Amino acid sequence: MRNFIFSFLALIMLPAYMSGQVIKGKLVDPTGMGIPGASVVAVDSKTSTDTDFDGNFSINAKVGEIIKFSMIGFDAISVPATANLMTVTLKESEDTALKEVIIIGYGTRKKIDNTSAITSIKADEVSKMKVLNASQAIQGKAAGVQVISSDLPGSAPSVIIRGLGTALGGRTPLYIVDGMPTDNINNINTNDITSYEILKDASSLAIYGTRAANGVIIISTKKGKGNEVSIEIETFAGFRSPLKTVKMAGSNKYAHYSNDALQTTTFSQDQPVNTDWFDAITRTGVYTQNNISVSGSSENIKYFFSVGNYEEKAILNGLDFSRTTFRSNNEFKISKKLTLNQNLSFGTTKSAPKPLDAFTNAYKQSPIIPVRFSNGQYGVSFVGANGFAGPAGSSFNNVGNPVAQLDYFNEQQRSIILQGGLKLDYEIFDSLKFTSQFNGEYYSWKNYNYEDSKAIWETNNNPGQLSTIIYPADRNINVLTKGRSQYFNWNLSNYLTYNKVFAEIHDLEVTAGIESSVRGPREELRIARRNVNANANYWSLANVDYGGTVLSYNDAVFNENKIASYFGRFQYKLKDRYLLTGTLRRDGSSNFGREYRWGTFPAIGLGWIVSKENFLTDVKALNLLKLRGSWGKLGNQNVPLNNQAYSIAGNNTYLGGSILFDGTTINSQIDPSLSWEVTEEASIGLDFELLNNKLKGSFDVYDKSTNNVILNTRPLITSGISNSSPAHVGEVSNKGYEIALRWDDKVNDNVSYWIGGNFSNNTNELTKINNAILAPRTGGDLLNGQFTKILDNTSVGKPLGSFFMYEYAGFDATNGNKLYFDATGNKVTQDALNASTDKRYVGSILPTSTYGVTLGVNYKNIDLSVDGYGTSGAKVYNGKKAQRFSGENIENSLATDFWSSNNTTATTPAPFNQVPVASTYYMESGDFFRINNISLGYKIPLEGMFVNTCRIYVNAINPFITQKFSGFSPELNGDGDPYGSQGIELNAYPALRSIVIGANLKF
Amino acid sequence: MKKIYISLFALSCYFISGCSNDFLDVDQTESVSTKDIELFNNDAGAATFVTSIYSKFLDYNMSSFSWNGVTSIASDDADKGSSPGDTGTDKDVMDALTYNPSSLSIVEIFSANYEAINRCNQAINIIPQLDKADANLRARLIGEAKFLRAFMYFTLVKTYGGVPIIDRLPNPSSQEDRIMQLARKSKEEVYAFIEKDLTEAALVLLDKSQYPNSEKGRASKGAAYALLAKVNLYQKNWQKVIDNCNLVTGYSIVPNYASMFRLAGENDAESIFEIQGTGQGVGSATIKGIQNYSVSQGARGAGGWGWGFNTPSESLLNAYEAGDVRKNATIIFAGTTLYDDRVVPLTVENPRYNYKAYSSAIPDADQSDTNIKYLRYADVLLMKAEALNELNQTTVAIPLLNEIRTRAGLANTTATSQAAVRIAIWKERRVELAFEHDRFYDLVRTGQAVAAFAIHGKTFVAGKHEVFPIPQIFINESAGLSNQNPGY
Repeated sequence: MRNFIFSFLALIMLPAYMSGQVIKGKLVDPTGMGIPGASVVAVDSKTSTDTDFDGNFSINAKVGEIIKFSMIGFDAISVPATANLMTVTLKESEDTALKEVIIIGYGTRKKIDNTSAITSIKADEVSKMKVLNASQAIQGKAAGVQVISSDLPGSAPSVIIRGLGTALGGRTPLYIVDGMPTDNINNINTNDITSYEILKDASSLAIYGTRAANGVIIISTKKGKGNEVSIEIETFAGFRSPLKTVKMAGSNKYAHYSNDALQTTTFSQDQPVNTDWFDAITRTGVYTQNNISVSGSSENIKYFFSVGNYEEKAILNGLDFSRTTFRSNNEFKISKKLTLNQNLSFGTTKSAPKPLDAFTNAYKQSPIIPVRFSNGQYGVSFVGANGFAGPAGSSFNNVGNPVAQLDYFNEQQRSIILQGGLKLDYEIFDSLKFTSQFNGEYYSWKNYNYEDSKAIWETNNNPGQLSTIIYPADRNINVLTKGRSQYFNWNLSNYLTYNKVFAEIHDLEVTAGIESSVRGPREELRIARRNVNANANYWSLANVDYGGTVLSYNDAVFNENKIASYFGRFQYKLKDRYLLTGTLRRDGSSNFGREYRWGTFPAIGLGWIVSKENFLTDVKALNLLKLRGSWGKLGNQNVPLNNQAYSIAGNNTYLGGSILFDGTTINSQIDPSLSWEVTEEASIGLDFELLNNKLKGSFDVYDKSTNNVILNTRPLITSGISNSSPAHVGEVSNKGYEIALRWDDKVNDNVSYWIGGNFSNNTNELTKINNAILAPRTGGDLLNGQFTKILDNTSVGKPLGSFFMYEYAGFDATNGNKLYFDATGNKVTQDALNASTDKRYVGSILPTSTYGVTLGVNYKNIDLSVDGYGTSGAKVYNGKKAQRFSGENIENSLATDFWSSNNTTATTPAPFNQVPVASTYYMESGDFFRINNISLGYKIPLEGMFVNTCRIYVNAINPFITQKFSGFSPELNGDGDPYGSQGIELNAYPALRSIVIGANLKF
Repeated sequence: MKKIYISLFALSCYFISGCSNDFLDVDQTESVSTKDIELFNNDAGAATFVTSIYSKFLDYNMSSFSWNGVTSIASDDADKGSSPGDTGTDKDVMDALTYNPSSLSIVEIFSANYEAINRCNQAINIIPQLDKADANLRARLIGEAKFLRAFMYFTLVKTYGGVPIIDRLPNPSSQEDRIMQLARKSKEEVYAFIEKDLTEAALVLLDKSQYPNSEKGRASKGAAYALLAKVNLYQKNWQKVIDNCNLVTGYSIVPNYASMFRLAGENDAESIFEIQGTGQGVGSATIKGIQNYSVSQGARGAGGWGWGFNTPSESLLNAYEAGDVRKNATIIFAGTTLYDDRVVPLTVENPRYNYKAYSSAIPDADQSDTNIKYLRYADVLLMKAEALNELNQTTVAIPLLNEIRTRAGLANTTATSQAAVRIAIWKERRVELAFEHDRFYDLVRTGQAVAAFAIHGKTFVAGKHEVFPIPQIFINESAGLSNQNPGY
């Protein structure tokens, strides 16, 4: 092909050749080394050539004619031709993108030479996001990466890369922190991170084999640099409040609505109390973070040390969280050939959690109840003969006092996570390097929870403090639960990297290695005791046997998981423009039976840097054009396991006397061939840079399918096996595209700006279930007997995480009753619905599109940046509203306009008392767009002072949102499970708006 | 640290030599692996596999709400009861004989019995491998498992007609075993299988008297013969009924009928086989009773303690002769005082409740202390009387019938002809065994169903209602290998 192009060019340029002469010379870099493969173009003569391997060129041109020299990585230059031997020096390009190095599994690669889809995010892009968790910081920053976060302190966001490929298996990406595979990055201080690499396609992921199917995020922490000791201090403080609240009915509206619902006059229409329960349980959140780091380097040592502290008093009363982190990263150059890297991080958290159903209770509790009655007792739902709430009367709902609930909830949690690693690089000879890396991770967690059972009972049952109501003697006075859990993981990898350029044009890099990875057994201990000393100091006395007070004792050691692996990668670059990557990983996992534990994961990647071809050198506007393509197979070993076990618990029986006899049986049917899920992915993409690198972008298309998804099948009914058995029976497909664009420009020395954005679209579908009867997985529990999601044989053709419920059909204009469509399309009332035939698939919690925008301006010492994030196509369920029934409060909008015999043209149905069925009445669009962050900073000019730089800043985090959802927040991570509470606003923490003021100083 | 590092490096190199499979062999810690069968290779371990079968009887889907739906509420002895608006999922349609192949009671009784059969097959498969357990014990345990397997199949064949016979642990990937699990066998084949299991069991089981007091709930030799007699009765093998009844020895009729259904009467001299519920109060989940059996049949409403289902019908009430002590021992009447001085006020929702399910100590507990009498000697006497009568030995049969009547406080029967004695025995069975889960099957067996249901105010369709529908979930699975019962 290339020869053909050459010949063709030669042919059309023949006339020019005829008229000129041969100009000869050499192209060199600033150090005087020849630059091979550069493009040389004589503009008028329309001739062109490449420099040879020493940088020499000869071209047909006229003397004095302008000749243009260009080479990727260098600034192009135009000089007049001379008859003498020319020596032309190219300056290295200021544009660092071309020299940018990204981290790939077990190595690094120049970004331009990479054949795979990796989004690399540098620290400065995310350091402005003042968030606790490292993965929350990348929300909206990378195409194809969906981050569902929560503002609950200490919570871990869900990260989904290029769609959800598994139904029951682990969904989170594999995190590699400085070489350590981990599933917990809560301990990482975002200020310590230098880069995130998000590996998205098969070519980049296959090196991680059986853990790669959900994508990989490689996090690298900082190292020392520069010649001097550098000290950096970062400090901020912020205030937090809910981004959006829901306006509830006031007391009189509540009374009116409830009387109508009950068809009584229980509640007075002139209430003396109007409690805003949301206000009563919340406060203005306050959070602060302080970090100090010391770094630097000398000839043989690079060092980095940091300490960070984060404190938050959350908006929910009493909910506190704090984290302290230490990190020490050092690199020692022991000899010319030997380098040792050491890193150690220590993170500890302390939190006082509070039950999030307080939000739901605050939503539902009646405003006529005061926080405290006049007798000082907590207000509860008793209504007296006067129609007011009071300590005597009849109970009108089952919702407790949310303030009392928070006050009584007494829990503390502490955790410690210790991560450390050693990495040894040894240069065996010039082109061959040996790397050995060991990492370990220790985690320890403990908590206590104290329940003051008697006081809670008295609050709910005896607000009038009557002596006739007595706490039953056989009940627990209080219950103390203590928990402990811990684990130790380690990982060891050894690999060789060979890198050599042959015959000047064949650039070859081969990596081969072995790895062993152990995810140690999770140990959990939980003990509940009754009637402990009321004074917390005396809960755990020495020399006391608490055996008699133990209510429950759980001591579990979960199965250990080990992986042994071999891996190899071959990267080849021809003439600096044709790229080939081949990857092969072979993994053995202890999770699976002996015959089924080894799997091989191949991938291939191709790249073509089109812009280096001569025929594009004339296109001035085009600085870079690269095509990429890849195919590969990836595994997910974090799936339901097939360890067949004896059923022991729950089979105890009496055989006539008072002796309890143990029972044992086998109540599971196991497929011994169960192993990992395999995702096959093909993708193509292109990267481009235009207009002097001002416009950069990329476009990717992918098609991923997981053809052996594990689902729980139901054994035949006559087998008598009641436990479902996991089997490879499903197929899930994810197809999508991603676009990322960014424009950077420097108007003059004082002004520069950028604007960028990314958009990704993904279509998720459960495409097939192979000849199996699934054990239905009902999910989306509304905690009132209603469920909103299902995964069973009928789910084929639907996205994962689909809602399954009755479809609301408006209300009956004659009586205001809500109506629903039955299977035949008739409108019927709740009581006439058939649970097995009338429910429908009505959408999924998974968005079809996610997008992010970023823009910023720097003017002299002032910098301003804005980031936004949005999703569309997802459905969310208003679970707290769907839970509301008799005697509970309603939203203001409902209370003002509901059907009644006096208002038959109302827009909402008549008041009702029964538990509503799960229906689309409570389902809403989850589409939203939110400004995640606005950051305004000013660098104080401090020339000659001992402070090098000082930037002070103000951030507005989540200042604005546009959403269709009527609840608090459409971003609902819940328990992170698409078949759990994800996408349902029930007992959910609201999204927050925060204003932060801070300063960053460097010495 | 350095040492660890070096050793780990060595370990890593070790892989290259190909020993990584050992590295990957991880011992299970979160549950007991089926590989470790040696843990159970002793007397106590072997017994646990049979205990789990008895445990199945205590489950909600086995002997409780659904079981009442099929055997009691569907019969003419009982009505659904409870509040009119509370259907108990499907108890209204069970009562009206308008159930369908997806009605919960019908599905649960089918699946629960097969769950129990799996436990039997597990025991029969595993116990012979436990060579360190006493050989006699193992033989007896296998005998118990076979008795229990026969018990489950008898329930299935009475309820559904012919069903698949699972006589071994199915291999999920075997086509033959797939067919075994999905193809219905004929009623006769099922009866033959039951008889074989019971015959084998009877040979190795102990007499009830040989079991210690703490293990009276185990299957005994007498239980095997009594059940065999009943199986013969259903097949009208009259001589075999008599022969097997004669082998049921060591039992006697207790003097006080009502005493049998109280705590003190559990495993008494008349009891041949009963389900042992020994729950201990509210919130005690670890100690099992027959789940919700008592509370679901307890008086409902103000002054009550239960859900109020499975109430004695008008038809049953009318079946008692005047002076029959069994009436007040079987039925709780609203407005009366119970033997333990509990007052049942007139404010409860239904006029009558089942006394035989009543727990005095913990009436409202999920796990109650009530037992279910499955086989007792009175049943054996009545079976024997019926068989003798059918074999024209009516005069020998009459004293047996009178023994039952005497205990009930009634005079001797006035029936003398074979036909009249037959009717008298059937009637006696009804009042003697009311609410002991026998009536529906007895009506079908004796051909009285159409007439009896007419009195009860329900329509029993001959040729259809003799058996319940096979659960739709099974028909779907069978993909043509099995057909639905006629009429459903």
